[in-house]
Amino acid sequence: MRQNWIALAVACHLGRNFDQADKVLTSYVATLKNVPDYDFEYSEVLLYHVRVLEESGKHEAALTKLDAHSKSREIVDRVAIGETRARLLAKLGRTEEALDAYNALVDRNPGRVEYIKDLAKLKGVDIDALTDETVPLALEVLDELEKRVPKGSAPTRLALSAAQGDEFAARARRYIESGLKRGVPSLFADIKPLYADDAKRKAVESIVASFHDAVAPTASPPGEPSTYLWTLYFLAQHHSKLGDQSRALELLDVALTHTPTLPELYTLRARVLRRAGAPHEAAMSADRARLLDGQDRFLNGKAAKYFFNAGRIQDAENRLGMFTKKDAPSPGADLEDLQSTAYLLQAGAAFEREGKLGHALRKFIGIVKVFEDVEDDQYDFHGYVLRRFTVNVYSDFIAYEDRVRQHPAYIAAALAASRIYLRLHDEPGLATKLVAPPAESEAEKKARKKAKKDAAKEKKDSTKAGGEEEETQQQPSKYDDPEGAKLLATATPLDEAAKILRPLEKLVDRADVWAVFYDVAVRRQKYLQAVKALNRLARLDKEDPLLHVRLLDLRKRVSGTEVSDVVRTSLAALFPQDVASEVFTSQYLQRHSSSPRAVTAVARAASSLTEAEELLFGLFKPEVSLDIKTAREALALLTERKSTRRDEFAAACDDRFVLSTVFKSVEEQRRLVKLDEAAMEDLPATDEVAEK
Amino acid sequence: MSSAAQPSAAAKTSNARVSLSPCTLNNLGTVRKLNSVLFPIRYAERFYKDILLPEAEHYCQLLYYNDIPVGTVCCRIENDAASGASKLYIMTMGVLAPYRGLGLGARCLTQVLEAASAATKPRIKSIYLHVQVSNEHARGFYEHHGFKVSHLFENYYKKIEPRDAWVLEREVDAPPAST
Repeated sequence: MRQNWIALAVACHLGRNFDQADKVLTSYVATLKNVPDYDFEYSEVLLYHVRVLEESGKHEAALTKLDAHSKSREIVDRVAIGETRARLLAKLGRTEEALDAYNALVDRNPGRVEYIKDLAKLKGVDIDALTDETVPLALEVLDELEKRVPKGSAPTRLALSAAQGDEFAARARRYIESGLKRGVPSLFADIKPLYADDAKRKAVESIVASFHDAVAPTASPPGEPSTYLWTLYFLAQHHSKLGDQSRALELLDVALTHTPTLPELYTLRARVLRRAGAPHEAAMSADRARLLDGQDRFLNGKAAKYFFNAGRIQDAENRLGMFTKKDAPSPGADLEDLQSTAYLLQAGAAFEREGKLGHALRKFIGIVKVFEDVEDDQYDFHGYVLRRFTVNVYSDFIAYEDRVRQHPAYIAAALAASRIYLRLHDEPGLATKLVAPPAESEAEKKARKKAKKDAAKEKKDSTKAGGEEEETQQQPSKYDDPEGAKLLATATPLDEAAKILRPLEKLVDRADVWAVFYDVAVRRQKYLQAVKALNRLARLDKEDPLLHVRLLDLRKRVSGTEVSDVVRTSLAALFPQDVASEVFTSQYLQRHSSSPRAVTAVARAASSLTEAEELLFGLFKPEVSLDIKTAREALALLTERKSTRRDEFAAACDDRFVLSTVFKSVEEQRRLVKLDEAAMEDLPATDEVAEK
Repeated sequence: MSSAAQPSAAAKTSNARVSLSPCTLNNLGTVRKLNSVLFPIRYAERFYKDILLPEAEHYCQLLYYNDIPVGTVCCRIENDAASGASKLYIMTMGVLAPYRGLGLGARCLTQVLEAASAATKPRIKSIYLHVQVSNEHARGFYEHHGFKVSHLFENYYKKIEPRDAWVLEREVDAPPAST
């Protein structure tokens, strides 16, 4: 009975028929008799009623209701009362009372940035959009709060965003030095957003550098050793972020000699090495961090991530398996069960790099499935919520479900899967080639048979010995198709891609999303959609190389085909009809000759290999600031197109990026990994210690 | 083996968090790491098995300074079947160089001494250890804490020079009278 009332109220509310919802709730509450004290369900209904009134604009009525029922202790959720009350008072323009309400909220939870921002807004400052005039007032408000709640760091940190010049330097010095002394590991992550402002970045650098000198063991008096260590850690992160990986490694070496037992130093070293283009060495460093604390699942996950990144998939899975359920078919299956999108993304990317597109696609689609599950699961909640009367969170939840595919993991998976589908479409024989096992040589065949025999024998032995290991071999149906063969076999890869991308159209406005959106649409001959994607790209950045190559592509595709006038005029607006493609490109290159991304993109679109080679070797010109990521892309392009100058390019990259190993030959990389493994000095030793 | 207690230039500082916690299978990697930088000897796998024995828990500890592991102490209980009394042997004790002179070694030793005097099954009668004859600082440190040289063990070390070691020993205080 009661459920039906609530269901009706919720339906009216969601249909934005506020008056009706109000009436339903009023009459429902009137039917209740003998409500026990502190009844949470009743409290939720009353709060919900207040919410309905507030959303319909009846702020006065909402406040009266809230006050009446909180005074009578019928609404029991103190935080909700405080927040709603403060918000309603602010909306009603009762500033003084609202300020009191917000101050009470800050006292209760000084770490909550939203309270502080709302409070500042009441005092006439929008902290998210400061101007030169409002900065002093903002600082005044924040300082007052800092005095009020000395333990909370939120006002102090917000003041750093607001302050400028010397004012900033003085405040930053206090904040950073206190963080380093207390040994806050996340200090750099906290400070990093300030680097968007060049002046602030320089100020932070000089603050930490001088603090480093003051706490170094050579200073007098020498500083606290742990403070010195965290200062080195901060500086290493700082230089790595600014691109100076050698300096970062030097600092880390000093830190590791000082204290070789802090896991953060090894994980940071891993990140620095990865940025420097040495993924294998990075993985070894992350694994060292893991060895320091076998209980730490974060370190375990990091190690696995770096192994995936280095293409050592089995090593990664072995690490992850230390924490997954022992009776799961595989560590990966368990993590997929737990909806670990991080795992699925990392594994998928590793398989993709290895060319195992089926495996990769299977992982990416696994992520899409996770989001489908989340969406489907919401229907289970409807009944539950109405039974339990948790209608307030339900309203938030419904809104969240509409945006759930904005999640970065969904976007990344949708893009990666779509790119694979595009390749399947562009290369019709690819799917069968990937699924069919490569032809075996006679020797390999023998080796395989022998291995099989040995395995069978071993299994027999272990069962004899008392083993019960047999059933683990069979995988339950949920994890079938681990190699993605069924996914690869699709006859309509483009439709699959379009289906995955569709939810993003209204949720995300990102260049890489629109680019893939175009790629799929244009191949499906949906020219209107394709043009729309290009227009969105142009609105984000007219000079984006992603846009340039697609404009060329579209002109090629529509020349000589029947397309609507809208498509032609839209294309012409971005790419004037009287300009030849060659001219369009050379003008573009002239504007962006120093952008490695632009040059590489144009090279990819170039029809002749010689032309592409010439462009790519131009990347080494001094005025081009080539980065490792683009260099790897360029090398991949040369490999793909079977250029004879591939090795020459790789050698040039190897020279350019001193710390990198990715441009070395496979054998050389393997040799380096072996050396590094041998240097794992504290691995279990065999030589006996001298004792009596 | 000991590399604690070398006075360093680091100032005595207050309000640092110092704590000890037992060596476990999971933090064994940290113990290995510390041993590899603190001592000139590589310890055998048996060493790492022994420190995980349940009865050794109070005597095998990691030392944390402001939540960073910077030192370790590992002992083993030796039962003398003839007399029925047990001895505690300090296998390793050390603190990373930058953290010396802060009283951390003493803290480790106090912990072990307290645990030993509180132990009843088995009763610990005395504690002893070896110090390389060249390590004057370590000898001074232990003598300061009530240890006395009992004799010289010639050719104790097989792989490092000098090969001789002092054997230092001290009685364990009787457990506080309990009701």
